[in-house]
Amino acid sequence: YRDLHTFELQAPTRLIEWARGNRVCVAGYGQSHGNEILQLIPPPTLLTKETQGLCPERDFKVECGGFSERPVYSLKYVPDTSLLVTSGPPDNSLQVWQVSAEDSDVIKSVSTIATENDTGQSWAKIATISARAPWVLHGSRLDRVQITEVESRKNVYTTASRGSEELSGLAFLDCNTLLLCCATGRLCLADIRQPQCLTEATAVPSAPCSEQWCMGTRHGAQGLETSSQPVARLSSRGLLILTDLRKTSEFLALVKTRVPSPASGAEFLCASWAPALEGYLAISGFDGTVHVYDTQSWDSSGREAEPIFIHKGHAFGGAGGSGDSPLVTVHTWHLQKPRTLLSAASDGSLHVWDWVQPCGKC
Amino acid sequence: GAGQDVGRSCILVSIAGKNVMLDCGMHMGYNDDRRFPDFSYITQNGRLTDFLDCVIISHFHLDHCGALPYFSEMVGYDGPIYMTHPTKAICPILLEDYRKITVDKKGETNFFTSQMIKDCMKKVVAVHLHQTVQVDEELEIKAYYAGHVLGAAMFQIKVGCESVVYTGDYNMTPDRHLGAAWIDKCRPDLLISESTYATTIRDSKRCRERDFLKKVHETVERGGKVLIPVFALGRAQELCILLETFWERMNLKAPIYFSTGLTEKANHYYKLFITWTNQKIRKTFVQRNMFEFKHIKAFDRAFADNPGPMVVFATPGMLHAGQSLQIFRKWAGNEKNMVIMPGYCVQGTVGHKILSGQRKLEMEGRQMLEVKMQVEYMSFSAHADAKGIMQLIRQAEPRNVLLVHGEAKKMEFLKQKIEQEFHVSCFMPANGETTTILTNPCIPVDISLGLLKRETAIGPLPDAKKPKLMHGTLLMKDNSFRLVSPEQALKELGLAEHQLRFTCRVHIQDPRKEHETVLRVYNHLKGILKDYSVQHLPDGSITVESILIQATAHSEDQGTKVLLVSWTYQDEELGSYLTSLLKKGLPQSTP
Repeated sequence: YRDLHTFELQAPTRLIEWARGNRVCVAGYGQSHGNEILQLIPPPTLLTKETQGLCPERDFKVECGGFSERPVYSLKYVPDTSLLVTSGPPDNSLQVWQVSAEDSDVIKSVSTIATENDTGQSWAKIATISARAPWVLHGSRLDRVQITEVESRKNVYTTASRGSEELSGLAFLDCNTLLLCCATGRLCLADIRQPQCLTEATAVPSAPCSEQWCMGTRHGAQGLETSSQPVARLSSRGLLILTDLRKTSEFLALVKTRVPSPASGAEFLCASWAPALEGYLAISGFDGTVHVYDTQSWDSSGREAEPIFIHKGHAFGGAGGSGDSPLVTVHTWHLQKPRTLLSAASDGSLHVWDWVQPCGKC
Repeated sequence: GAGQDVGRSCILVSIAGKNVMLDCGMHMGYNDDRRFPDFSYITQNGRLTDFLDCVIISHFHLDHCGALPYFSEMVGYDGPIYMTHPTKAICPILLEDYRKITVDKKGETNFFTSQMIKDCMKKVVAVHLHQTVQVDEELEIKAYYAGHVLGAAMFQIKVGCESVVYTGDYNMTPDRHLGAAWIDKCRPDLLISESTYATTIRDSKRCRERDFLKKVHETVERGGKVLIPVFALGRAQELCILLETFWERMNLKAPIYFSTGLTEKANHYYKLFITWTNQKIRKTFVQRNMFEFKHIKAFDRAFADNPGPMVVFATPGMLHAGQSLQIFRKWAGNEKNMVIMPGYCVQGTVGHKILSGQRKLEMEGRQMLEVKMQVEYMSFSAHADAKGIMQLIRQAEPRNVLLVHGEAKKMEFLKQKIEQEFHVSCFMPANGETTTILTNPCIPVDISLGLLKRETAIGPLPDAKKPKLMHGTLLMKDNSFRLVSPEQALKELGLAEHQLRFTCRVHIQDPRKEHETVLRVYNHLKGILKDYSVQHLPDGSITVESILIQATAHSEDQGTKVLLVSWTYQDEELGSYLTSLLKKGLPQSTP
């Protein structure tokens, strides 16, 4: 490590979202009510490019917070507005909140975007963009994906896809193109101007036992950068597939990673590309570690890939004695500092770490 | 108070007619009158001694006691000042130290003198933890352990059944030499808590310590010298324990020194106040003196010129005078060396200047000093964060919470959090603002055993969850309240008991003879009032429980019978019921 900071949140979070001004947002997911949404100002050590070590201000500050009646499983800021959207069980509806940090430090609940009631435990996955207007893309199943205008709550688009598989993630590629990933591994591209048309990427290899998939996309300020960056699909068995969106009929790469089978299924499976380091990918959700990989030498042979770095901090952090080692719930890359990541675990810990490139690699 | 490090604490509480002043701090950022609290808020003309019942000081930090000598000797207060024993011992040292900087170095004139500090301390009454101290017949105070620094306490102020708890600065997590704050479920009407760190999510102590040790280690490894200016007491002990453990573990050989006088003084105070340190220290103290270190030796000023690496703890803490400044001047020119400032430095001191980035300093005699050594700052201050505040509220169970030291619009979230979780009101007044909190004082009343037995026997069985309505007479005499039965009250007061009896006339159309009417009424009532005792007496009257019914013919109209229904005050309910029942008339066919 070049640097490692550990913090303890009052309640564990399963999301870490970046907001304007280098703010970071976390939210509670445990209780049935009284979960807190916290927008944090990171310590100056993280805001500057240089690592300072003994900086006087080393703490996160809660800039503002809100109270959610339901557990918060997903949260996205709506670009160019002071709004954010959250979702969580027991249903697919979305909650819209207003952040006005200058006036008060309370994040206020503004409205709810309701959806047709669904059977099952699903909650909506969300993505936001503000191209033509502030939009939120949401849905829990492939055939129930919609785009809703955030302020007017008007429905702008609905998928017409066949298949009712559960979604594990969705994203805007640009203001017209959507990327939808199902828990089965099915990856689809949709053009909102042509709702009937759905391009599918090559399917993942079928597995002997049940396997869940999630996708990893490059984080951008507004939706995603165009399809130059491959999309990663990660399975609960540790398979990683990279697909170039310009050539969806084949795999760019297919590797196996050595990970333990996750205790809680695919609930916290997470994969993300480094915004400032070409070809670096991080994965987590299997245990108390976060793995960082250099994908530049990968091919589609299916061989095993070795991580460049493993962050083990959360596994040691635990209160001890309880027997359950903490599980990493989410991780994210720092937007400017190339090797800095933030990760959170089920015991409420929040780590900020800066890893060093091992010798022999450049 | 302003800012997180330089708060100036001074809170006035009026409780059940008593006035208590909590803390008397100095604002370290100002050089004029604004550094002292404005005591004219308390009273414009009257003497402070007459108005205030007592003053309580929570701990020895200057932003909590720095204005005390000014207050007691220059403004004028002769009443009692309460603080814990360690605070009483250490306060005057810090006050004198501060007075020296302000007057001697900065040339201030309107400041308290050494004699004033001494005179002020003569008015101090020291208290022990968990000892109830009677300030006067009605006002009592009690100190609780607050962690934070040696001798810091949270105070409970109680008058009758109303109470307030003031936390001062506290810490809910133990550190190497102090325990965590603790309070019992005292359920005060109001809890006043500092909230400066409420919005902070702290970097773990391990990381802070690791970075500190890394810096020290790196400097020593390259042959440099590390200077750590400290106050006589406080973080110094914490850091010594930390370094000692590290040196032992890493088998390091470079010497660590502690200013002469400092060791003795520190040991003296810690031995004196061993009960104020944490559990671990108390246990090891029995085997060996925790503050006698294997790797840390007493310093001699000649050592500063020794070649090779070393670490030195020297006073005073802001590099404003004395040994630490001397050492600093010797070592400043070498970039291999390092100085680590462990806390806040007042403006005007060398410590403050180098932390602000100045690298060329003018010393005494117009000598310029170029600072090439590395300057680091680290804060190990121990305050409660949001989680700690919630923990304390959970422990004490107050009915109301008041937060001090925060910007109002930045505390809205914490206020809501407290209100939602504990269902209590939360207040955040600004400086100079008065907050009024309504209390529901409980008035204890003695109930006579006879009355209690009688009342519990009637009606539904007593239920722990439901209030039970009882009837009695409240006697208030000589500041005591008693609840007794009416008979008892009458006896005690020497009054005769009067019986109230009501009689009501009900007209019934019935041409038959009186005794037939009575029979009809009797049968009718017996049929309806199955749970009651209805009797037909030989003299022609009917009784329902203790209510009497008699029938007579109407004087003018033989077809009408007059029923006289008579009952005592105690049977009002049944009497009224019977009357309205009879008014409805008798059924046509009666068996």
